[in-house]
Formats: sequence, C-alpha cells, structure tokens
Amino acid sequence: MKISTLEYFIREVFNSLKRNNWMSVASIGTVAVSLFIFGMFLMLVMNMNKMVESLESQVQIKVYLEEDFSRDDARDLEVDLKKMQGVESVTFVPKEEAMEKFKERLGDQKTLLEALDETNPLPDSFEVTLVQPEMVKTAAENIERLEGVEMAKYGQDVMEHLFDITRLIRIFGFALMFVLALATLFIIANTIRLTVFARRKEIAIMKYVGATDWFIRWPFVLEGMVMGLLGSLIASVILRFSYAGITAKIYNTLAFLPLIPEYPFLNYVTLVVIIGGMIMGAIGSAVSIKRFLKV
Amino acid sequence: MIHMNDVMKVYDNGAVALNHVNVDIKKGEFVFLVGPSGAGKSTFIKMLFREVLPSSGILTVNGRDVIRMPNREVPYLRRSLGVIFQDYRLLPDKTVYENIAFAMQVIEAPRRMMQRNVNNVLDIVGLRDKYKCFPNQLSGGEQQRVAIARAIVNSPAIVIADEPTGNLDPDTSWGIMDIFKSINASGTTIVMATHDKTIVDAMQKRVIAIENGEIVRDEARGGYGYEN
Repeated sequence: MKISTLEYFIREVFNSLKRNNWMSVASIGTVAVSLFIFGMFLMLVMNMNKMVESLESQVQIKVYLEEDFSRDDARDLEVDLKKMQGVESVTFVPKEEAMEKFKERLGDQKTLLEALDETNPLPDSFEVTLVQPEMVKTAAENIERLEGVEMAKYGQDVMEHLFDITRLIRIFGFALMFVLALATLFIIANTIRLTVFARRKEIAIMKYVGATDWFIRWPFVLEGMVMGLLGSLIASVILRFSYAGITAKIYNTLAFLPLIPEYPFLNYVTLVVIIGGMIMGAIGSAVSIKRFLKV
Repeated sequence: MIHMNDVMKVYDNGAVALNHVNVDIKKGEFVFLVGPSGAGKSTFIKMLFREVLPSSGILTVNGRDVIRMPNREVPYLRRSLGVIFQDYRLLPDKTVYENIAFAMQVIEAPRRMMQRNVNNVLDIVGLRDKYKCFPNQLSGGEQQRVAIARAIVNSPAIVIADEPTGNLDPDTSWGIMDIFKSINASGTTIVMATHDKTIVDAMQKRVIAIENGEIVRDEARGGYGYEN
C-alpha cells in the first residue's frame, strides 16, 4: 500500500466521521455502553472463577486448638492427625503466623489491629487437607473428638452451593457477553451502513474507474475500527474507575472475598475491550459495505 | 479491441436484451451505437465494462476475456477503459481537479504523475481555469467535459460513452464531439451510444444499429438512419 493511499484513507475516515458527526457520536456512545457492560461481565465472570479456584484449593479443615493446649501436646496431636485415614497433609500454624497472615489480608487496614495492643487473640491451629475433599464432613467430625481440639471448621456446604451458582453465572455471563458482542457488531454495522449509503454514488464511480474492492472497503473498515476504538477507550476508562471503586467498597465490607487485584488485571481487561471493540468495528463495517460493492 | 462472437444476454426475468450479436471493433475506430430506446444499446455498453455479464458467447475487450474473467480482475479491465454517462456522475463535494484526480487516486497512481495528467486533460477539455470550481458551479456541458477528462486521465485504450450529449443543447454537444474527435485522433477507440441524428449524420463514422437485441445494420461510414 502506498503512503499517498494511506493518507487518502485516513483523510476519508475523518471526513466521514465529521460529516456524520451526530450519528458518529451516537454510535461511539452506544458502542461504549455495550462494551462497558461487556467488560463488567467479563470482570465478574473472571472474579467468580478466581473465587471458585481459591475455594477449591481451600478444601481443608481448619483445626483450632484450645487456648491452654501446649505446643508439646500439639506436636503429639500432629502425629495422631497424620495417622488418620484419608489425611493428606497436616500443617501446624502457630498463632503468630496466623496473625501475620491476617495482617496481610487486611492490607491497608491493618492499622485496625493496633487496637489489640500487641496481644494475639488467635489460637494455634492445624491445616488438614484430605485426599478426597468429599470426606471433609466425617473427617472434621472425627477430628473434633480429639483432645485439645476446640473446633474443626470446613466450608463444604457453602462451597457446594457456590459451585452451582458460579456455574450458572459463568454460563449466563458467557451468553450475555456473546449477545453484547453481537449487539456491538450490529450497532457499528448499522452506522457504517448509513455512511456507506450516503456515499453509494461515490462507490459506484470508484468501481467504474477501476478501484479494487479492498481499496473501496478500507476507509469504511478503518472508520468502523476508529469508532470501535473510541467507544472502547471510553468504556475502558469507566471500567477502570468502576472496578477500582467496587473493589475498594468490597474490601471495606467483605475483606475475605478473594478479588482479583486491580493490576495487572485491569490492563488485560482494557486490552481485551479495546481489541474486541476494534475487531467488532472492522467486521461490522465490512459486513455492511458488502452489498454496495456489487456494481 | 472489442470482439463479440454470438453474444447473448438474457436477463433473470427472461427478457432477451441481446440476441446472437457479432461485432469486431478495431483499435482507433470511432463507432456510433444507434437504435430505439430499449433495443439493447445500454446492455451492449454495460457488457464492455462488465457491469452486465453476457449469458453466453465470447466477448473480449482489450484482449481480456470478459466472460470468464474472475471478479477480482474486473477493476483492471475498467482501468483500460474510460466510461462516460449521460448524467456526468461527478462527485458534488469535490472540485473539478479533485474529481479528475480521484480516478488516478483510486488506482494508486504516483502523485507527481497525477498532477501532470490532470493538468494535461484539463487542457484537452478546455477547463484549465475552472479547476477549482465545484460541479454545481458549472454548466451541463462543462460538467460533461469534466467527466470526459476523468474518463481519459488514465489514458484508456477505449472510451465508452452512453448518450454523452443526451442532456445538452446542440452547440454544447458539438463542443463535446470536438473533444471526442481529438481523443480519437490520438488513437483512442471510441464507442458511443446516441440518439443524436445530427451528430451521427455529420460525423460520417461507423454506425452499428441495434433493434430488439439484434444488429440490423453495420456501416463503415453511415448516417443515423432513423427519423428523430
């Protein structure tokens, strides 16, 4: 492709966007909205996935020890636990380590713990993983009967419900993303169709003087890509602010939820939205110009 | 240049537009295509640049097999032709210069060549001083001259004109014909469909008459042959 041709294409795109300015603004806005919703669901689905994954890796029994249980006795208990049927691993978590982890989890809000004045209310504990996570209920009951054990906790029933819900959300989310992608495609195709229609005479003349189909198509495809790009840029900016805002809110109230950290996650989402927007813009306009090329 | 052997055109609705047409047009010829409206002149013209695809027969234009040519080669066929219509078909938001340069732009001609060729054809059609005008600032004759300039700017081997003087008064029409004569004198083949009896009678060029899709007359130096 020659430089002068490229220049011509770029000039054509901007002339066309200018000529149909309100239509272009409306399309870019609609693309932005649908890509925003698309992005929100993408992030929701990905966070759901992350939660499921972290829950799966957490199929374990937390064995909290009585406060006056000595470390020596704990060592004996560890041996007993390891001997139990179906137990895969046993890890001792001293109360100091538990505190560190808790602080880590609180992140910025670990100043809250200053109220505790260096005292540590957390007990020593064991983390017991099982060969078969389904056995968690019986195993926990057995463990709870052992001497020195305050309680044995596991989150199995919660988990089973969660698995059902996440599966539903995943299916629903993907279906919705698909529909939104189609809608975006349709919107861009329609806008480009209007510009193509307004310029059908010009297209016919181009065909008569021997322009190739791709030469005619490129400015329109580029226009679709520019609209997709502008729409997705707007959507990305709003998405980034929204995600930052929402995660901050959730950390404030539901700090235990394992959300995906903003970076680099948001960069990936932005990339997906922008590339997706441009591809849909290109396809949308390529589809709508097809009919006008038959001269 | 143009060779038709037993060319048929039957439209989808069953109408026979051209029936067993045999024609040979040589390089440098000036050919008038005459006949009543709906006789098949337009179909004849449109087949030459493959806006209409013949149903059967052999059609070669500039040595290219128009019927068996794949779609992607059609633009290259058209680059070797200059097409002129009754309604000029200029782009209203482009100047005279831009309208003509447009034909070179779309075939990605080098920019330096573009300027030279456009100025050159502006001289041929006598519109050098109006290159900045927009089509709506020009008379019909001037607009048609811009269309001619656009058709010849890529130095086509054949110029195809469909009723180029159909919308113009006699004086203006003669101005257009003078341009065609000089283009023809430089070796370009010209095929022109027309209803203009005066012009055909006066020019004494080859005349092909089509009626009901068939060639009924083909004279090397003929007249219009119909009463207007």
